[in-house]
Amino acid sequence: MKGTVAEKLTLALAGNSNVGKSALFNQLTGLRQNVGNWPGTTVEKVEGTLYFEGLKIKVIDLPGVYSLSAFSADEKVAREYIASGEADVVINVVDATALERNLYLTLQLMELEAPMVMALNQVDAATRKGIEINVEMLSKELGFPIVATVAITGMGVKDLLSTALRIAKQGVRPPQPRYGKEVEERIVRLIEVLEAKADKLKLNYPKTWVALKLLERDEEIVARLSSTAEGKEIVALAERLAEELELIHGEPSPVVIASERYSIAARIAKACVQLKPRPEIPWGDKLDAVLVHRVLGYPIMIGVLVATFALIFTVGDLLVEVLEGFFENYAVPEASSFLLSLLPAEAVDLVVNGVIMGIAAGTTIILPYIIPFYLVLSILEDSGYLPRAAFLTDALMHKVGLHGRAIVPMVLGFGCNVPAVMASRVLETDRERLIAGLLIVLVPCAARTVVILGLVGRFIGIHVALAIYLLDLAVIVLLGRLAFKVLPGEAVGLIMEMPPYRLPSIKSVVNKTLVRTWSFMFIAFPLIVGGSVAIEAFKLMGLLDAFVAASKPFMEGFLGLPAICAVPIVFGILRKELTLIMLTEVAGTTNLSTVLTPQQMIVFTVIVMLYIPCIATIAALIHEYGVKKAILMTALYIVLALTMGALTNLFLNLVLS
Amino acid sequence: MENLQCLLEALRSLELKGVKPSSPEEVAKELEIGLEEAQRLLHEAVIKGLAKEVDGKYALTPEGLEEMHIHRESVVHNKLYHGASLIGKLSRIMERRLEDLDKHWEAKHGFNGFTVRGLHQGLMDLQGRVEDLAPLTSLTPGGKGVVVFALGGYGLVRRLAEMGLTPGTEVQVVRKAPFRGPIEIMVRGVTLALGFGVASRVIVRPLL
Repeated sequence: MKGTVAEKLTLALAGNSNVGKSALFNQLTGLRQNVGNWPGTTVEKVEGTLYFEGLKIKVIDLPGVYSLSAFSADEKVAREYIASGEADVVINVVDATALERNLYLTLQLMELEAPMVMALNQVDAATRKGIEINVEMLSKELGFPIVATVAITGMGVKDLLSTALRIAKQGVRPPQPRYGKEVEERIVRLIEVLEAKADKLKLNYPKTWVALKLLERDEEIVARLSSTAEGKEIVALAERLAEELELIHGEPSPVVIASERYSIAARIAKACVQLKPRPEIPWGDKLDAVLVHRVLGYPIMIGVLVATFALIFTVGDLLVEVLEGFFENYAVPEASSFLLSLLPAEAVDLVVNGVIMGIAAGTTIILPYIIPFYLVLSILEDSGYLPRAAFLTDALMHKVGLHGRAIVPMVLGFGCNVPAVMASRVLETDRERLIAGLLIVLVPCAARTVVILGLVGRFIGIHVALAIYLLDLAVIVLLGRLAFKVLPGEAVGLIMEMPPYRLPSIKSVVNKTLVRTWSFMFIAFPLIVGGSVAIEAFKLMGLLDAFVAASKPFMEGFLGLPAICAVPIVFGILRKELTLIMLTEVAGTTNLSTVLTPQQMIVFTVIVMLYIPCIATIAALIHEYGVKKAILMTALYIVLALTMGALTNLFLNLVLS
Repeated sequence: MENLQCLLEALRSLELKGVKPSSPEEVAKELEIGLEEAQRLLHEAVIKGLAKEVDGKYALTPEGLEEMHIHRESVVHNKLYHGASLIGKLSRIMERRLEDLDKHWEAKHGFNGFTVRGLHQGLMDLQGRVEDLAPLTSLTPGGKGVVVFALGGYGLVRRLAEMGLTPGTEVQVVRKAPFRGPIEIMVRGVTLALGFGVASRVIVRPLL
């Protein structure tokens, strides 16, 4: 079929979060999807293709946003894409149950002057809520076509596609929204100067839109214009005009303009919506009365989190056992005996211990936990429970400089940091994501718990193990507060929609899981295998002894540890529980109390707990925050761990002497 | 002084409704007091230089406007940020002059210049009595209010407006989480959760 298709078309889906955008996307593209990141960002880019009436149609699912300001990376990505004109038609997905709020974004999309079609989604849910929308009238008011849809069932999707096709062929753009006199006058003035200097500014946005953004003091547009002398003049003019607006209305100019948009949205919604009395209290409200109850909500949430945790790790552990068995009993011995017939012993070591064990580490650590994790996360996301958990824990999370939405990533961190880091995506701004990421990596994961319990717990006592746990939590709280103060950007507290509950669709959950797992493996596997090969090569070249010798003054002088402890610490980069295994190996005994004093065990454990996250976590950090930040974070943890190790050693010296 | 301040507020509210200067009858109606009482207060205000008389009608003088503004701002300050405690009252006496209060907002409450300016604007254009204002956090579940203004940095104020909390919007509190947790509200047919810190900076006029 592909070969016969000559024409191509691009559609972009834009809309608020929780309006059924992804459901519509899945309905349109099925499994022909691609997930990556938008260039230069860590915002998820989802693309798919479909064939309709002999056309190959590319569909882009833009991130769900409430506005097109420069508040978050999501908003920047969405508006950049629409302004670029790459999409032939923008499909504005609107939740029919909350028309007024959704129209706020619609008006901003119209400002961008791209050809538009609206998918008025969830009309079934609206009817159940007693909301009747006059589609014809709404379309007349807005000036572009509207199709009523129910994305989950596929109702209206074909009609939507043919309407989009028609609009693409005609290339009609929606009319511009008309704001109040004071705003319009100032837009006109700005457009005049923008037009006069258009060739020097090189802005690929519609001028009306730029004028509005200037009046709103949009950081990005202001910065772009300020790079030229002409632009600076325009920015200064816009600033004067914005101040005039503020004097007239007595509100900050972005609020003035937001109010204008909302008053249009409210007027249209009022004209087109007919409310009927609801027959009974909706089940979602009844559910909320229990799930976010001031008292009952908490045990239920703990139950949900524990169940999530238990599910991920029982399924994960089961898979790990199966996979480990396969690698240990079959793949590794088979591969080595086969390779030994071809290559010298050292090369075989490199391949087997490096490449194959690397793949084994990837498959046994990542896949077993990542897949169930993504399944559960998708269910929590789609059902609408996530915002409820955030609501309940917001006050608590404020103590570490985060807000409620960070609860799920933080709790998941106790199992494995990898899915936890990836779950930090649920946070809105880059600043929050970064603080969450910084802290998650310090949450003692299952592997670190093994070391804490297996070394300190077993040889010294459970109370000391607990003390180390508490020390870790103290470090998290302190670092969180510090990061909250130090990191640039305004801290905006929790402002979150509580979407209605929905039964997650199996198709969407499975789809999300597959697509996300694949995109993670793509980054993680090369890194894990590469790291594993590098360490093995390091060992084979005899550099390990040199490293031990070099680190000796530091290890003994500052940390009070035998120099040989450097070896397990290096191997711990691959996976943290290896530190314990390697320690027994280099010590030559499993009774570690004969080799290390209790003080040394404590210092060693503190370092293992805090230093570089394992390589899979580094991969997740790169995936979520980019290479530069991941390296910076890793360096921070190393410094933190060694400092804390040295301090612990010093403290114990003082106390014990 | 209390009554006089109410008078100044009434004159300002009338001004914002486009009634300037206003007759004693209009003032009496606005304040819901007798005509004689209104005339007495207006006379007192004129003597103190807070209002001026033109052809039997009255308007605020710049001094009167400043006095009203200081009053409004200290009410917001005392009620929202220091309560009606002794320290709150003392600080109000200490900070009668507007610029001092500005410094106080910045030093003690961490407000930046933008936030303070927003507060000034919000209070200048306030219609009705400042005593009627309350932070969103003070509403009980089921209670309704109308947004008057939001206090905060540029990002917060803009975000709130984008989510539909523009001045004049009616909101209803659905529920509150314990331990100074978030507040769930209904606004424009959508349910939103606002963190306690955010909600305490949204100033509303409670509806009965």
